[in-house]
Amino acid sequence: MFRTLKPFEYLEPTTLEEATAVLSSYGNRAKAHAAGVDLVPRMRKRLIAPECIVNLQQVKELDAVIAEKGNGIRIGALASLRDIETSDLIKAKYFVLHEALDAIVSVQVKAQGTAVGNLCVATPASDVSPVLYALDATLAVVGPSGTREIPIDAFYKGPGKTVLDPAEIVTEILLPAPLPGSGGAFRKLFRTAEDIAKINVAAYLTIEKGVCKKARIALGAVAPTVVRIRTAEAVLEGQKIDQVLIEKASQIASGEVKPITDLRSTADYRKDTARVLTRRVLEKSLERATA
Amino acid sequence: MKTYCIKLTINGTPYEVEVEPQLTLNQLLRERLELTGTKISCAEGECGACTVLVDGKPMNSCCMLAVTANGRDILTIEGLAKDGELDRIQKAFIEKGAIQCGYCSPGMMLSVKALLDENPNPTREEIKKAIGGNLCRCTGYVKIVEAAQAAAKA
Repeated sequence: MFRTLKPFEYLEPTTLEEATAVLSSYGNRAKAHAAGVDLVPRMRKRLIAPECIVNLQQVKELDAVIAEKGNGIRIGALASLRDIETSDLIKAKYFVLHEALDAIVSVQVKAQGTAVGNLCVATPASDVSPVLYALDATLAVVGPSGTREIPIDAFYKGPGKTVLDPAEIVTEILLPAPLPGSGGAFRKLFRTAEDIAKINVAAYLTIEKGVCKKARIALGAVAPTVVRIRTAEAVLEGQKIDQVLIEKASQIASGEVKPITDLRSTADYRKDTARVLTRRVLEKSLERATA
Repeated sequence: MKTYCIKLTINGTPYEVEVEPQLTLNQLLRERLELTGTKISCAEGECGACTVLVDGKPMNSCCMLAVTANGRDILTIEGLAKDGELDRIQKAFIEKGAIQCGYCSPGMMLSVKALLDENPNPTREEIKKAIGGNLCRCTGYVKIVEAAQAAAKA
């Protein structure tokens, strides 16, 4: 067992310009550091061996602020998972995000780790990502050639891989204004409380005069990246949702996911629980949207 | 190897120390400052044995680079007792038999402290959630939860 980290160069830029410049010059030899929750254990286990760590905590343009912006909400890149979980604004406007973070057991991990760090690690089992898919979140990104916004469902390329250039930095998560008559839910299964999810599911429904105007269903840990089940969403949109439709959407979700067998579960088990959890989050989302 | 001079407060005492970037906060506490009350077990942020309070919040010291603790206020188990007298949480853990091997206890007690500082009258469920990131392999968690309840009332 390794107890110590191999030596590396350490940089602490104080502006975004400086941060993107150093990340650009080091390319893949450097790793951006938000809090270290993921980075430090992986370095200790020799899974990664960056030559340089670029700590972003002192970058003056980055913050931990969770606040209304335009009609929606913005979450600063340095906001911890715990900051977001306990935010009254998040509880009031996007309870489903609170619910997903509440389901992460370790207070220590949540108090230290950031949501943006979690997204950039790009684990297929992220408990943060599926909800952001369900909420149509966008990531604001700064790089050497300027700024851009990336919809969350265009952010991942595969396990551990995002579309970010090595020199790009996510500065904030943007959530659009919640529509009236909306409700969501998040559920996951895990082996033990400390372990990562075997499977997790988030849904978000907007109901207007009894009819579903918008449906979002996203599942994690059942494919190389989080997946939105657009065909199942289409089954619900424009319809008056009942148990038959919910069952149909859940069957579609189960059929579309491509899980693997690993030490946590078999692929068959994940496929079947994808159906059950999708049904449960849709039932709960409908209940909350129409409450 | 370049070192960095960091200034931080540990248990109310200001420190100025030279650290290599690869030193973790856990190593700084245990190996440099000989504050061995903070434990290390899994070394990957699962077990909570290395928990310390950073600016009042529980964090796993094994997953934090010491250099990033610059300017922070750290509380370790050594900082709980005041003037030779154990803190109410430590007393409650002893009284309720919430300690067996003792390896999880420092982290467990600091998680309870963070909870009680924020929420002086927690429910059993709130206590269980607050220690969710701390594993104990000796007992169940019943006596630990009872100790936290007793500490809240003390």
